[in-house]
Amino acid sequence: MSFEKPIQILVAEDDEDDKLLILKAFERTLPKEKVTCVEDGDALLNYLRRVAPYNDLLKYPRPDIILLDLNMPKKGGKEALAEIKSSEDLKSIPVIIFTTSSNIDDIQTTYKMGSSSYITKPGSFEELIKVTEEIENYWSKTVLLPD
Amino acid sequence: MENDKNPSIRQVKIYSIVTLILIVVGSGISYWTAGRIEYYTNAVMHTSDVLQRTDELYSSILERESNIRGYVITGKEEFLTNYSQSNIDADVLLSQLQGLTEDNAVQQNNFEELRGLINARVRTFDATIAYMKEHGDLEGFLDPSKANNALSGYTMIKNVVLRINDVENNLFQDRTKSLTNNINALPFIVGLISVFSITIGLVTFFSIYQYNKAQIAADTERSKFQEKLKDQIELLDNSNKELEQFAYVASHDLQEPLRKITAFSDLLKEQYAGKLEGDGDLYLNRITAAALRMRRLITDLLEYSRAGKIEHDKIKAVKLSKIVAEMLEDVEVAIQDKDAKITVGKLPKVYGAETEYRQVFQNLISNSLKFSKPDTKPEINITSEEASSALINKFSTLDTDQKYHLIKVSDNGIGFKKEYAERIFSIFQRLHGKKEYDGTGIGLSITRKIIEKNGGVIYADSSPSSGATFNIILPFTSRNLRDN
Repeated sequence: MSFEKPIQILVAEDDEDDKLLILKAFERTLPKEKVTCVEDGDALLNYLRRVAPYNDLLKYPRPDIILLDLNMPKKGGKEALAEIKSSEDLKSIPVIIFTTSSNIDDIQTTYKMGSSSYITKPGSFEELIKVTEEIENYWSKTVLLPD
Repeated sequence: MENDKNPSIRQVKIYSIVTLILIVVGSGISYWTAGRIEYYTNAVMHTSDVLQRTDELYSSILERESNIRGYVITGKEEFLTNYSQSNIDADVLLSQLQGLTEDNAVQQNNFEELRGLINARVRTFDATIAYMKEHGDLEGFLDPSKANNALSGYTMIKNVVLRINDVENNLFQDRTKSLTNNINALPFIVGLISVFSITIGLVTFFSIYQYNKAQIAADTERSKFQEKLKDQIELLDNSNKELEQFAYVASHDLQEPLRKITAFSDLLKEQYAGKLEGDGDLYLNRITAAALRMRRLITDLLEYSRAGKIEHDKIKAVKLSKIVAEMLEDVEVAIQDKDAKITVGKLPKVYGAETEYRQVFQNLISNSLKFSKPDTKPEINITSEEASSALINKFSTLDTDQKYHLIKVSDNGIGFKKEYAERIFSIFQRLHGKKEYDGTGIGLSITRKIIEKNGGVIYADSSPSSGATFNIILPFTSRNLRDN
């Protein structure tokens, strides 16, 4: 367990409140600089493809996992997911759907499209902390990720 | 919808039957008349035959008279030969005539008399011939009285023959008249029946035409009506769907800000609990509690909006006994907590989605457990029987042609006043304070929605202190399955 290094998480979330809550929750387990946020699908793809202003690799490192909200302005979560999974370079990054929707269609389509998990945003902050802990625990300690 | 001016199918049937009867009767009468005509034709021919033979008989009698006269006057033997031939002819004809008039007593008597007279006459002639042969002439044979006798014998024969002719002539006239009458009647009868049959036939045809016209009109009206009904059902379906969609979206979107209120007040509590001045902590707790309650309300609303959806592929036969047994296992902890006794009778098979019926019974059982009397062990009975037609008639939404189960869930809990029996099924309606009994008041609304969706009815009976009984009426067969 001593080899483990903190994972780099990229959160695509347009809602300021949710962004704040997610960051607050991850604060418990991850150093601040390990969690980065983008506001929509376009920004997510720009980040991943290192398009300005995301061309600084030190400031904007390649993420180990992506937390993706489905309902976002401009490019939505599903479109972003499709683009990531059709790109040779990006498709190895696990994408976790993190959304308010518990719609069975959304769950099925996103799994079919290649997402790795589907999590519904919890109702309270305590639950949110639990979820972030579990995400961190699973993806950094339990599973092995591609480099 | 039935128009009185239009003939009914019954009328058309009656017309057709009358036409048929007339044709049969007409044929019968025509056949009978034809038989009469044949009979009278034969009778007339028979009579003219008798008349002709009587004429011949009379001729042979006359010939015999002239032959005997010739012999007496000339003494020539050839007259005697002719005389014998005449005798034979007369005898044959007489026998034939007697045979022909066998059925006529008057003529039989006449012919018998004629035969007697002829025989007497023959005897007289034979005696005359014998005398003539012996003496060569008739000197001394004929005396005036005998001559008188001879004359009167011939006259008598003639009279009888005339009488026979009279009878036959009368018969001939009668029979000819009957024959003519029958022949004249036949076209009249046939014509009359034909006219009747054609008239009734036309009436029938017209009735059928009218009937078909009315039928087509009724069909058109019916299909128009159906079309309208279909449109309205579609409209209603759409508005129902919209309403459900609205409830779903509304409750879904309502959850978003609520989630944040909860999350941020959690965060606030976590970092500042005990550090706030005055009533700060209390207010924070109130915010959290109110947000929690609102979350439950929204969740319930969401569930309620989902309960109305009819999902055809999920409808199947559901064994209630199995569902209830499984549900009781799920709530076993709550049952043991309350030390409740639950008795389940024989339960039927109903139609719908399994999960929904489980929800129905779970709602009812938890309700009974929740509203039990504080000092009494809860007892809950679940029974089923066939619903009486009197009961079915009470509910307009039930089909009186169908059979229904009546399933009762009764308890010995606190019950409720009669006037609240309907209110308890309304959404978010509660009879008790939130502090006394927890809950949003959605359970029974969802229960009712599920039962009504499956073609049934649910209502409650109770009085305070006697406990509550929930009555569920469900059809033997699924309406949705029937319709498909």
